[in-house]
Amino acid sequence: MNMLAKSFDAVATAPVISLRGVRKKFGGHLVVDNLSFNVGRGEIVTLLGRTGAGKTTVLNIIMGTMRADAGAVSVAGADPYGEFKSLKGKLAVAFQTDRLLPWRTAVENAELGLLILGIDRKIARAKAIECLASVNLAGSEHKRPHELSGGMRQRVSLARALAVDPELILLDESFSQLDHVTSRSLRADFCKVARQFGKTCLIVTHRIDDALEMADRVIVLGPGARIMLEMPLAEARLNEQTREQCRAQIETALGGHNEDDNN
Amino acid sequence: MQTAQDRAIATESEPPPDGGRAAALFKFVVTRPSIREAGATVVVVLILLAAMQIASWYVPDYIMPSPEAVSGAIWRLAHTDYFHVLATLGRLAAALSFSLVAGVLLGLVMALSPLLRPFVRSLVVIDTGIPALSWILLAVFWFKNPEKRIFFILVMILIPFYALSIYDGFRALPKDLVDMIESFRPSQWQTLRYLIVPHLVPYVILTTKSVIGYATRMVIFAELVASAIGVGSRMGLAQSTFHMDEVLAWTFFLVVLNIVLQLLVTAIEKAALGWRQEAAVR
Ligand SMILES: Nc1ncnc2c1ncn2[C@@H]1O[C@H](COP(=O)(O)OP(=O)(O)O)[C@@H](O)[C@H]1O
Ligand SMILES: [Mg+2]
Repeated sequence: MNMLAKSFDAVATAPVISLRGVRKKFGGHLVVDNLSFNVGRGEIVTLLGRTGAGKTTVLNIIMGTMRADAGAVSVAGADPYGEFKSLKGKLAVAFQTDRLLPWRTAVENAELGLLILGIDRKIARAKAIECLASVNLAGSEHKRPHELSGGMRQRVSLARALAVDPELILLDESFSQLDHVTSRSLRADFCKVARQFGKTCLIVTHRIDDALEMADRVIVLGPGARIMLEMPLAEARLNEQTREQCRAQIETALGGHNEDDNN
Repeated sequence: MQTAQDRAIATESEPPPDGGRAAALFKFVVTRPSIREAGATVVVVLILLAAMQIASWYVPDYIMPSPEAVSGAIWRLAHTDYFHVLATLGRLAAALSFSLVAGVLLGLVMALSPLLRPFVRSLVVIDTGIPALSWILLAVFWFKNPEKRIFFILVMILIPFYALSIYDGFRALPKDLVDMIESFRPSQWQTLRYLIVPHLVPYVILTTKSVIGYATRMVIFAELVASAIGVGSRMGLAQSTFHMDEVLAWTFFLVVLNIVLQLLVTAIEKAALGWRQEAAVR
């Protein structure tokens, strides 16, 4: 009943991401087995699962860089693979590693997406500077990637994604390579900006903390990207007790002992 | 006079006693690689000059002239033959820039067209196997105009270096960065402009750095055989008229030219590739 109500809700507000019965095989290995879920506008959803669960594969299918073997995929109303170019400017990605262009300064990296969108240089530069400031990088605009720490580089890569003002932001383990303190402050800064501008985010991670601190909703994926658990987390972000209950539930869904940080 | 560095060393430890100052200076010199190398170069040059001087006392001038005679020849040639130097440098610049552009284009064709790749690749590989001497001899028969001859020889020798280097550079394009830029859905032109070209710039510069000495030797060699103008032909003339002082004067000029060209390319490398941390440190 609840599920039905939710899906009506989602139709009413037109989900930004919609997957229906998506499958993907590599060789004989079924990596994504009949996956369906929606992400509504302005929602921050975490896709949580162990390494090898198929999270990155799902993300590639949503990005449109990989084609699903079966099922229907819709992102911002378009088929991300078949209508690849039509999503220009509508989605942005931050990856596990910063993927900055080493010959460009922080601000030149942050404005890359805007330049690709054909936005006027001056406007792009101003917007990039603003986005760097929003992730606490004011003052480092003209440093090159090799002059920045790992955390700062990841901030630049988040600013690069935010700068194009996309309908959808995809993060693939963007906080996983940083130490706990750095990744916590980065998560907080990112969420603040994302919520402020009502961005729709799909955050792929294997760390429970990423979900508990950022998400409105978590989808726990088991082997074959099968959904093991799906639950709202808005409460858990605010209430310590609920958070620990949710953590326990997620750990059970992930199955057995949780080796959090060996990625 | 005490330099700043001297003082730094003096304050590092106890003030050195008498004679210790010289030891400290000695230590300073032998532990600084740049100073040590410059010093070694000076020593080697002095030994060579001394050897020339001594040899010139025992053999006739057309075998080994004295350093004084050679410096006289340098002075003389600087006034009469600068046109030949300009001709040589012009030929070098023209052939190098053309080879750069053509080689980069061929490299891009190899990288971007799977259909043409095997053909262009075999062509380039065959070309690298053809000795410079063959091109020189062929050019003399194929072209009447000396400029055409020299341009052809150099270009045939240099193009494959650029083509292969660009192709290698293209294959070394990090997949991560390609996926990143693809996620913004750029046009092909934008991918070329924002990712591929900047990624390939170091390959072009480092190729230029490694071929420029070779190219200089080849232009001299080609001039010797194929032209009446230029440093190479002047060296040939000096040799056939027993002017060994002029041959050595030209040789001295070529050594200096080589150093200057290397410094020039290194300066360009530093300016253009400052972002490559390793390059900056090196
Ligand atoms: N391009 C590919 N070719 C073959 N196998 C792949 C490919 N991409 C992923 N896989 C396999 O699919 C499974 C899931 O990978 P991935 O989606 O990267 O998982 P996750 O991101 O959850 O760690 C792994 O077993 C991996 O080896
Ligand atoms: Mg992954």
